[in-house]
Amino acid sequence: MESQIQQIHRQLVDKEISCVDLIQEKLSALKENTYNTVNTLLTELALEKAAKVDAKIANGDTIGLLEGVPFGIKDVYMLQGTYATASSDLLKKYKSAYTATAIQKLLDAGAIPIVKENCDSFGHGSSSENTIFGAVKNAINPELVGGGSSGGSAVNVAKDHTVFSIGGDTGGSVRQPAGYNNVYGLKPTYGRISRYGLMAYASSTDCVGPIAKSPEDIRIVLNTMSGKDPKDQTTYSSEAISQDSILNTVNIKTVGYFKNFIESEAIDATIKSDFLASIEKIKAKGIQVKELDFFKSDILVSTYYTLAMAETASNLSRLDGTNYGDRVDDKDLKESYAVTRSEKFSEETKRRIVGGNQVLSQGFSDEIYLKGLALRDAISENFEKDFGDVDIILSPVTPNTPPKIGDSLKDPLTMYLSDAYTVGFSLGQLPTLTVPQGTETGLQVTAAKNNDELVLKFANFLKDTI
Amino acid sequence: MSKIMTVDVLSSIKGAQPSEAVSKLFDVIKNAQTTNNTPSNNHNNCVSLNHLRADEVIESSALEKQIIKDNFPKEKNGYLVVSKVIDA
Repeated sequence: MESQIQQIHRQLVDKEISCVDLIQEKLSALKENTYNTVNTLLTELALEKAAKVDAKIANGDTIGLLEGVPFGIKDVYMLQGTYATASSDLLKKYKSAYTATAIQKLLDAGAIPIVKENCDSFGHGSSSENTIFGAVKNAINPELVGGGSSGGSAVNVAKDHTVFSIGGDTGGSVRQPAGYNNVYGLKPTYGRISRYGLMAYASSTDCVGPIAKSPEDIRIVLNTMSGKDPKDQTTYSSEAISQDSILNTVNIKTVGYFKNFIESEAIDATIKSDFLASIEKIKAKGIQVKELDFFKSDILVSTYYTLAMAETASNLSRLDGTNYGDRVDDKDLKESYAVTRSEKFSEETKRRIVGGNQVLSQGFSDEIYLKGLALRDAISENFEKDFGDVDIILSPVTPNTPPKIGDSLKDPLTMYLSDAYTVGFSLGQLPTLTVPQGTETGLQVTAAKNNDELVLKFANFLKDTI
Repeated sequence: MSKIMTVDVLSSIKGAQPSEAVSKLFDVIKNAQTTNNTPSNNHNNCVSLNHLRADEVIESSALEKQIIKDNFPKEKNGYLVVSKVIDA
């Protein structure tokens, strides 16, 4: 599919459509949709901005590429004056006091936010069922989950309710729902985009990630949001990626894949055969393919969840009904904290907070948390070695197809294990993109740190190859 | 007060118990073979002293202040109301 952003820009400039009509059409589609993707519609704000774009065009002024383009925001980002609920009971009345840096950059470029999107509460989930707004339904088969945690964002893009959406990816929360709904979803290199104004889940892997229908739209949005931000000191300066550079795919020579991912008993037989068929097509283009050794899936999942739970227990400790959130009063401050948190956090969120406090406590931290950190170092070193041998690592996005709505909440361990192919790249802080090709839930393209350009380049190569 | 704090107290969540599913994940870590059990901190995102943010107070806008007040869980005469302070 060609760039929808470029297409809308042309239509606006040529006056084939008005911005107000475009925004109204998207808002109506979102309002009527039955996939539970919407937490808040930003009707007034969006139409006001659209009218200004139309006035500019009528005046003969030049408009920027993103000006007037409607987009969605996962409901974990701050957008001043709008609700930021994290799909949680605790923050259901919380209004953003300021705007996240990544979102502000899109606003500065003229893009128009139209919806705060449903997701797993605080990013805690892989199915977008852990939410007070109702389970997000899959865009292809509404009996299945939309994926998570950025499920509402991926479904909105898939259904053309937004041109692009901004999800958040901690262990696969952009890539997995993108795969489940057949769209592109990028987790950039950690630090490329500021996390300021993104509600923290696990700060050492949290990434802002765009979801769209083409590599070109991902590139445009990525370039707009990237850059060093004094408000997030883990950010770094990066060069803009040019359109020409990602169309030139000649310098990709070697691709690797983790053979234990594919030889695992847990992988669906069709996903496995489709993945291997894709590998053959890549080989037929003259690219060398190498099998790589990697950590076992259960080690990856356990390392990720150990560290993520420890970080989320710490990050969510401020949500006590006094500093933030909907308070339930009790006899004293301590009891009010405990009752508020007990009643207002979901079961999955409580499970992760308790797990996090468990591993951080004396007697457990050495044998679990510190060992988890050591394993993370080993995983990162493994990646550094691999990217000395190959340009790209290719993998399926998920071992299985999307589960039915209701199944994941019954079996959290199975849900955690379904993240087996995404969490390792998060621990490595690598750029990694879901491409809606190759298997039913897509392919995951990963490159070395700071090489987001190569990931988009390979996505374009796959468009012509598979 | 007991020196041992249980996870429900640590988490401020009434009646919280360790979960079986999560314990299974931790068992994998406990049993994992690593060449070095001490994190090297090679992959931390350290910030150079030269790149620290300036230590200065930035005044919030009037709108931001108003939204922060609107978000107070309980407000009385412009003050944030808190529950009775923890007993000594």
